[in-house]
Amino acid sequence: MNGDLSALPGIVALTLGVGAVATAAMLAPAVALGFCLARGNFRGKALVQALVAVPMVLPPVAVGFALLILLGRNGPLAFVWSALDIDLVFSWWAAVIAAAVVGFPLLTRACEQAFGEVDVRFEQVARSLGLGPLRSFFAVTLPLARRGVLYGSLLAFTRALGEFGATALVAGIIPGRTETLALGIYSRVQLGDESGALALCAASFAIALIAMLVAEGWLRRSRP
Amino acid sequence: MSQRTSRIRCHIDRPGFSLDVDVGWDERVAVVFGPSGSGKSTLFEIVLGLERCAGAHIRIGGSTFDDEAAGLYLPTECRDLGWVPQSPTLFPHLSVSENLDFGRARAADRDPAARKRAIEVLEIGDLLGRSIDQLSGGEAQRVAIARALASGPSALLLDEPLAALDLPLRARVLPYLMRVRDQLDLPILYITHDPDEAQLIGDIIVVLDAGRIVASGAPRDVLWSRAVLPLSEALGLENVFEGGIRREHGSPTFVSNAGLQLVLPVSLDGDTRVRIGLRAEDVVLAADRPGKISARNVLESRVIACDDRDGDVYVSLDAGEKLVAKVTAAAAAQLALAPGSTVYAIVKAQALRRLG
Repeated sequence: MNGDLSALPGIVALTLGVGAVATAAMLAPAVALGFCLARGNFRGKALVQALVAVPMVLPPVAVGFALLILLGRNGPLAFVWSALDIDLVFSWWAAVIAAAVVGFPLLTRACEQAFGEVDVRFEQVARSLGLGPLRSFFAVTLPLARRGVLYGSLLAFTRALGEFGATALVAGIIPGRTETLALGIYSRVQLGDESGALALCAASFAIALIAMLVAEGWLRRSRP
Repeated sequence: MSQRTSRIRCHIDRPGFSLDVDVGWDERVAVVFGPSGSGKSTLFEIVLGLERCAGAHIRIGGSTFDDEAAGLYLPTECRDLGWVPQSPTLFPHLSVSENLDFGRARAADRDPAARKRAIEVLEIGDLLGRSIDQLSGGEAQRVAIARALASGPSALLLDEPLAALDLPLRARVLPYLMRVRDQLDLPILYITHDPDEAQLIGDIIVVLDAGRIVASGAPRDVLWSRAVLPLSEALGLENVFEGGIRREHGSPTFVSNAGLQLVLPVSLDGDTRVRIGLRAEDVVLAADRPGKISARNVLESRVIACDDRDGDVYVSLDAGEKLVAKVTAAAAAQLALAPGSTVYAIVKAQALRRLG
């Protein structure tokens, strides 16, 4: 087992898959919520903002435990899982859900900030030119905020790649199914496979570096 | 008032700001004039439906957008208004051409030729391929006006379109505004704090101060009226004339639309259509025609009215077109100025200023 790298491509692919699906899944809700928080002026806004931020500062293990209860066959949503006949706990989807929940605050915050920086005048002008609120959002607001939204997506994606605590609890460390890079490093260290752990660390580093290079490229290339 | 083609009634009461307006008019081009903070831009937001207020009635050029009594309230996108907000808010992620296309869905319904005409009137054909950050301030303002026009609006709302530009640039953009005014048969609502623009553009002026209407009527009458003068003078009130330039004996001569003739300094020679500004305090009055004098313009004039305001006398003259001179009370007394008397208004060519 020591120094065996044959599992590496599979782990990398699984990690990237979990990160990509988690990011894609949270994008629309995070954009919607971020926009509401940036533009809305409603009662309880501060509470919503705090609730959104909580998973970011909570111990990931606590998030994982909460998910374990929520997704479990004995939890408050058990009737849903029974009705749909699905077992989420310890599945690939559980890893995706854990990654999404932990990444969601990052993306929502980034979206809120990005939309906050778009002058509301642009939306008003678009509406004066005959576009409804939804069309003016997609034609003006989102394109003008795209830099921040993309950057936030990448942050959330990289956060998802590194997710450990929540995933370990709700998805377990099942090779080929839920064993991501972070979990793989942990299990290899536990088993004394230092060179295997090192290889996964190197892969993590490479992915993180590429992601950040892409992010910086976006920031520099896109027009304001 | 309810039968007027345009009407704005609105009432807003907030801590530190209140707006209480009820005004109607039939003229095509209305200027809302007032100092900054008087509520002019808020008035536009209400007309556009960006701000809602109770008891409102908004009708521009015969189209009613908001009539609480009739249960009518149209959202912004259904008001068919062409709006040019302060400082050009062109969409920075789109090219000039794409900015113009923004209102094409509405233009297709209302006026398919609107885009082409907007490009012609504002002469932006050469700019279409540019990105927004490649435009100068004056070009950006022309594109912003064209974008509003290209959407085929039922009326045009211009919010201080020249205020963000420095003086030379203003003189370059003003002629385009005059073209929009004269070549398109469109109701216009024009916000400004500049008395020159108000007099040149408006058929009617509504003077707003601290959220209240102080006066309304013909711009040249209202701005020089006793009630508005302190405000309009503080904002730079002067005589303004529009007309053409003729060349006689080497000197360019300005002939206003009403027939007033003024010799211009050679530096002001230029286009055939120009607007000229002349401060009331730069007009010298003489009882007799002076002999040799450096001033190039000696206009035999008839006194229409003398208005003494705290020791300053505003003398309205008919010099081919109405011209106001501001002299001291002592000077007015020495010349025995009275309605009907004849005086010579003396104007240095160098005192004339080209507005655009």
